[in-house]
Amino acid sequence: MKLLHKTTLLYLLATTLILVAAGVTLMLVLRGLVDDEIDEELRLQYDLIVEQIRGGELPNVPLTTIAQVSQGPTAELFGDSLVYDRVQHLHEEYKYLRKTSTINGQNYQIMVMDAHVGWQEFFRTIFLVFLVMAASLVLAGAIINYLAARSIWRPFFQNLNILKQFSVSAPQPMQLQKSSIREFEELREVLEEMTHKSWQEFSSLREFTENASHETQTPLAIIRSKLDRLSQYPVSEEMAEHIVHAKSGVDRLSRMNKSLLLLAKLDNNAFTDKQELNLCEKLQEQAGQMEELFTLRNITLELSCERVRMRANTYLCEVLISNLLANAVHYTPEGGTVSGALTKDKLVFRNTGQPIGLDSAQLFKRFRKGQQSNHSTGLGLAIVQQICQVHGWRVNYGYQTGWHTFTISF
Amino acid sequence: MKLLIVEDEPVLLEEVEHYLGQQGFLCESAPTYLLAEDKVSLYAYDVVVLDITLPDGNGLQLLRQLKNLHPETGVVIISAKNSLDDKLSGFGLGADDYLTKPFHMEELNARINALIRRRDFKGSAVLTFEELEVDTEAHEVSVAGEKLQLTKKEYELLLYFIINKNRLLSQRSIAEHLWGDDYDMADNYNFVYMHIKNLRRKLVSTAGTDYITTVYGMGYKWTAAS
Repeated sequence: MKLLHKTTLLYLLATTLILVAAGVTLMLVLRGLVDDEIDEELRLQYDLIVEQIRGGELPNVPLTTIAQVSQGPTAELFGDSLVYDRVQHLHEEYKYLRKTSTINGQNYQIMVMDAHVGWQEFFRTIFLVFLVMAASLVLAGAIINYLAARSIWRPFFQNLNILKQFSVSAPQPMQLQKSSIREFEELREVLEEMTHKSWQEFSSLREFTENASHETQTPLAIIRSKLDRLSQYPVSEEMAEHIVHAKSGVDRLSRMNKSLLLLAKLDNNAFTDKQELNLCEKLQEQAGQMEELFTLRNITLELSCERVRMRANTYLCEVLISNLLANAVHYTPEGGTVSGALTKDKLVFRNTGQPIGLDSAQLFKRFRKGQQSNHSTGLGLAIVQQICQVHGWRVNYGYQTGWHTFTISF
Repeated sequence: MKLLIVEDEPVLLEEVEHYLGQQGFLCESAPTYLLAEDKVSLYAYDVVVLDITLPDGNGLQLLRQLKNLHPETGVVIISAKNSLDDKLSGFGLGADDYLTKPFHMEELNARINALIRRRDFKGSAVLTFEELEVDTEAHEVSVAGEKLQLTKKEYELLLYFIINKNRLLSQRSIAEHLWGDDYDMADNYNFVYMHIKNLRRKLVSTAGTDYITTVYGMGYKWTAAS
């Protein structure tokens, strides 16, 4: 439930309760007062009649009955009765006072009546008035409350939206809106300090990763060129072997470095430019480049694609496809089959092979390899996943009856 | 051919200078931005090999200056950054090629040679090696007038060999030249072997000479028939 709704609802509830209580109280008090008034009126009438009887005449007053009885005097008795109203053609409620008094030695039972106020109508009227009052009060109150609260809470909601969009990898630190309310201002200060700190730490970390990768490239270039130079001299077979091993180490390091750099850049959202491109073309292009790799290992490559145009980063799409194809070449046994199928909503790569015993989540982790292979860096699929994330795509892996399947859903 | 090599790492600079010097280029070197700026304003070079990240300035700025003074000079950028932005702005400023560190000397040499061929021989760029003739425009190879039928990859391989003659080329250097360095080629060196085997067979059957020497485990070398 939204905060505004909650406060408004509480207000509504409170108003309704108070109004109901006020209505009931008003009713009871009114009823008491009116009752007392009628009782007094009846008593007065009774006294007047008693006086008249005492004066020797038997009054004939409407709605009053006087009877001579044998029993002695009784206490006052109030009661209700229905009297037929000839004008309105209905029974109306009346209140009566019955009392036996001894006047001039005679016992007279006198009953005086007075029309009751129509309580039902009374109730209805009061109820209606209160209902209208309550409704307008509640409505007006709710609207005022809602509007006021909304303007008071506005900086809060605006900042909430800013916070929702906050990412440590954003190019600028977060800037929140100022507010005149002290609590909000405190919250803003705390939040800004917190996010600024994490933003700063993240950007220094990514700067470090990028710099470290860059700085490593130059010494690697030196080692490689020196090893190349060394191998220009006539060397013994044993020496040659050492040089070759050293070279392959350098090559692996430099590949890993490049992959890490690419990952760092993907983390940094460095690839923001997107172009309209034909993914089918890219797929065929990359497959064409790797054709020989497939032929040599006697792997059948089946490609099928629909013409799909989409907005994506060209370079990243090339890397994505080439990584998946390279992965397929790497892990498909000789004589196997690799298939790539591109449709409007997904790109599916399948290849035959033994199960690898890794689930989807593990497979895309950095430095995770199917077999502890010496050659692969274990970063290829991590890069694939990261590229998908950048484009808002989903990548999944599954293994079924001899087929490894990678599905990218756009 | 006069070359200027701008690179701040002395060991790498020496290495580039050494190899390109061996290949018959007249090399000058500049380890800093200021020195490079001086040289560029004083002399004209055929090709400038330019590192973008210099301790006292940006290589792209130097490129801008260079192109103002000598628009005909060819430029190969060598950078530790494999950055698309740098590449695009480099090409936008008139650079001809872009190599990412670490690179093979042979690759740099091949790029420089290709650049010079593109610039200097408009239409007919023919490389000769003994009785071999490589028409780099038509992508044709002939031995003593007789045409040699080569696949695209074999042609590229032959050209790479001739340009880097007398140099031991590692499998990796060849693989990267032919297929690029996007994939891990380590377990695919068989290709290099296959292509070299085919090229050799064709050369031997047409020219009667095997110019390629295998250096066990290390790579291959192209040398004149002794």
